[in-house]
Amino acid sequence: MEYLLTLAILAALSAVLAIGLNLVLGYGGLLSVAHPIFYGLGAYASALLTMQANVPIPLAIVLAALGCAAASVPLALCSLRVSGDYFVIVSLGFQLAVLQIINNLEITGASGGLSRIPTFAHGSDRNLICLGVLLVAVAATLVLVRTLVQSPFGRALTAMRNDEEALSALGRDPVRMKISIFALSAGIAGFAGGLYAHIFQFLTPSQFGIETSTALLTMVVVGGTATIWGPLVGALLMTCVPQAIQFLDLPQAIGGPIQGMIFSVLVLIFLFLRPQGLMGGSRGGGGLDAWSGRRPGRSSRRPDVIVERLAEEVGS
Amino acid sequence: MLDPSILLQLAWTGFANASFTCLFAVALSLVLKVNRIWNFAQAGMMVCAYGFMYAGTRWLGLDVLAALPIGLVSTAALGLALERFGFRPLRRRGSSSLTFFIFTLVVSQLCTYLAELIIGTESTTLIDNVVTPVRLIGDVAVSDWDIWATSTMLVLLLALAVFLKLTRWGQRLIAVADSPDLAELYGTSRDTAYGITMVLAAILTTAGMVLLGTKAPTVPSSPLQEFLLLALLATILAGVGNVFAAGLAALLVGIGQGFAVLFMPAQWTPMLVYALMAVAIVVFPRGVKLPRIRWRGVVLGAG
Amino acid sequence: MRLSRFLLLAAASVLLPPVAAFADCAPIKFGVTDPLTGPFANFGKDQLQASIWAVNDINAAGGVDGCKLEIIAEDHQGKPETGIAVANRFIDVDHIPLFYGGFSAVVKAMAPVAERGKTLMFSVGANAPSIAKLGDYTYTSYPLAEVDMTAFGKYVHDDMHKQRMAVLYANNETGIPGSRVLIENFKKAGGQVVMDEAYDPAQSDFTGLILKVRAANPDVIHVHGVNTDIVTVMSQVRQLGIQTQLTSYQGAFSDAYAKQLGAAAEGMTVTSLAPSADQNPNVKAFLERWQKEFGRTANGLPYTQYFYDVPYIIRDMVHYLHEKNLPVTGENLRTALLAVKTFQGPMTGPTTFNDDHTVNKPVYVWHVKDGRFQYVTKIGE
Repeated sequence: MEYLLTLAILAALSAVLAIGLNLVLGYGGLLSVAHPIFYGLGAYASALLTMQANVPIPLAIVLAALGCAAASVPLALCSLRVSGDYFVIVSLGFQLAVLQIINNLEITGASGGLSRIPTFAHGSDRNLICLGVLLVAVAATLVLVRTLVQSPFGRALTAMRNDEEALSALGRDPVRMKISIFALSAGIAGFAGGLYAHIFQFLTPSQFGIETSTALLTMVVVGGTATIWGPLVGALLMTCVPQAIQFLDLPQAIGGPIQGMIFSVLVLIFLFLRPQGLMGGSRGGGGLDAWSGRRPGRSSRRPDVIVERLAEEVGS
Repeated sequence: MLDPSILLQLAWTGFANASFTCLFAVALSLVLKVNRIWNFAQAGMMVCAYGFMYAGTRWLGLDVLAALPIGLVSTAALGLALERFGFRPLRRRGSSSLTFFIFTLVVSQLCTYLAELIIGTESTTLIDNVVTPVRLIGDVAVSDWDIWATSTMLVLLLALAVFLKLTRWGQRLIAVADSPDLAELYGTSRDTAYGITMVLAAILTTAGMVLLGTKAPTVPSSPLQEFLLLALLATILAGVGNVFAAGLAALLVGIGQGFAVLFMPAQWTPMLVYALMAVAIVVFPRGVKLPRIRWRGVVLGAG
Repeated sequence: MRLSRFLLLAAASVLLPPVAAFADCAPIKFGVTDPLTGPFANFGKDQLQASIWAVNDINAAGGVDGCKLEIIAEDHQGKPETGIAVANRFIDVDHIPLFYGGFSAVVKAMAPVAERGKTLMFSVGANAPSIAKLGDYTYTSYPLAEVDMTAFGKYVHDDMHKQRMAVLYANNETGIPGSRVLIENFKKAGGQVVMDEAYDPAQSDFTGLILKVRAANPDVIHVHGVNTDIVTVMSQVRQLGIQTQLTSYQGAFSDAYAKQLGAAAEGMTVTSLAPSADQNPNVKAFLERWQKEFGRTANGLPYTQYFYDVPYIIRDMVHYLHEKNLPVTGENLRTALLAVKTFQGPMTGPTTFNDDHTVNKPVYVWHVKDGRFQYVTKIGE
């Protein structure tokens, strides 16, 4: 029972993260892969606030979330200068750089990690309490995202994603919107990070690296980007499937790689066969590529189409 | 510490040790230039090359050179499969950069897990003993490996330059890189061009992994965790489309990291890589502008 | 070793020889978790193998008062996250009262889980001093860095007659505390530490660092790495023509490393916290068994000796509980541990669990001669 509760806790944490990432990625169209670093920063900030400054845990988590929102501003500003492919790399570099810093600072425990972090739940029912708190967090995040997406801000966000120049022409400020959306998403991640730290009571930098980025991205992709429920479904699936594999009683020496392989193959299947994800519409609504800015049929080989495109290229 | 012999040693060993990174950077940059894809699956190609070389040298008992064809053919096959079954469908669908990013990253992870399954997760080398004979030239220690590495790198780079500038297909690759539609209009199949580029990348990657595998113990997760990032940085510094500049950037970064240790604690030198990357992307999004040197009418470093 | 061979041998080693019928009691299960995949698997697999042999040997000799011991083995891949999942599974799914394993970062991650689940956890092989402070339910049966590096610091100065030491250490939980203790004690013995610097174990080019070492002109270079970085650093030291004495700690005690280094390994001196075949006939038999079954020496031989001894500690704790008629739970095992305190291990000798959760053991010195590790002396002898 406790084992299942722990699994549910992990799934819930992943869900909060994935919903936050979807905000920036799916709805905002900003190709950032640095999400786990805000998760990590939130976790470390909250842990250190409680351990070094005796801040009560709920306050520490909130402060950590706010701190992460602030920390996202440099990254958001970068997104103004570069876009598309390059921004993926910028965000990756940002993530790895911050990890390196954490890895080398004594106060964060460096690579050995921070242990004996205080917790807010004690006793035999602690897992149940933690899960309860997390379920509230998941629900709150879902409601928040849903409200936002359906609001005028959300509509402007979709417009920005599809055509930023048109949006500017209409008098809206994409700069402010990008910064807000990054801050909100990072704040959500930081909040989840704080919860993680006080539930599992142990942190190392290696938990917030490129593997976590890939895991989160796949949750969003498999679930369906730019959908409300997609990230939640993706998180549940991608947390439970690897654990289920453990029960297949595979020989020890191959268990680890097999788990990884099943995960990777699952992602590839979704990328090619159902790019809109589990919750995305069949007409491609809600997929990563729904708004990529490339119109269908652009890869036509017809000479007249080619000439037309060339003319466009030359003209631009 | 700033003794000339020390500086020379750092420069030489840095140069030799950066040889495989240079090859990886050139491969990555080439695929970026022609196929227009940030090929994170190159880490997977690196693992594939190493895995097959390992099988050839350790299981079949072959000499490194004798096992080379096995590594080359398998990596080229992977590269072609990536292009045909991965990039092409995604391209046709008009997929976003993020889809390509996830795809290539996951392919690399898959290759890593496969390698862990088949050759194991322990650290291995392609030869029994990684310490090669050393001689002193002046005050500088030069090992046999240094010489293999630098000559392999220079020969391959020269061969690539000759191919790109002087052969028909090489020029076609450049044409496709500049404008795929125009090239097609003139009769060059872009799919063939993309395929050839992946094969070239496979050759460079395999050579790089052979050098790495004869220098230091490696585990299947090393390419994705360490070496790809350096290749990425070099490509960014050089800017999209500047293949040989990427190689040069890799060499300079490698040498620079060596020198940096003289002035800062070694544990912080990885930070340099990220700091450089950040600066490069934000300040020089199109790459650092090198002065254009003309030699007999040909601009060096371009292409 | 190759996958199929490992599977075959793992299966074979679990088959028990014919034994007398046991008394009617359920097998006493406990968990062993180690990196069975990942970069540290070469050590992890051999360590598990040693524990499996110990359990087989105990069961063949009648078990614990007629009850069988049984291992549940899990792979933590060297990752803290996976370790937490493994610990949870041990406690909530397998319902075991005790588990053990190695690797500092993972042990630290599992400790809170063990604490909450009132399950006894042994750290075996990890040497970070902070392991002694991980809670009431975490103990180490393996000496922490203070033990070997304290003795070695003095030994290098007094017995190896070195005056100027350079220390290169991995920038992590293994390298930082261990090297600090060594530096402190080398200085206390009267030596001078001419240079000490941390490095990133993932690097592949250490030239700059090594040239800094050369410029400091040491007469001994200590490399406190974590895994293959030991080989990379040492090979590059020799590659730059530096012939200075190389030392390391037990983490470098691997014939595979010596082989990869070739002639460069000659004379490399390391510590070991387990007795050699010359001092302990059980070790001699152990070595022969490895040679017979696997055609080689165990990777990280001293660590495997500790992993062999833990089931014997468990046997004695359970025996204590049987005598007191107490159920075998985590809480009771902890009581037994504190009551019995000193346990006899066939491979490593007596182990006494101190009140501060540490253990002390003699420190031995080995060096590489003719391509293989050979015993030199016991420090303090």
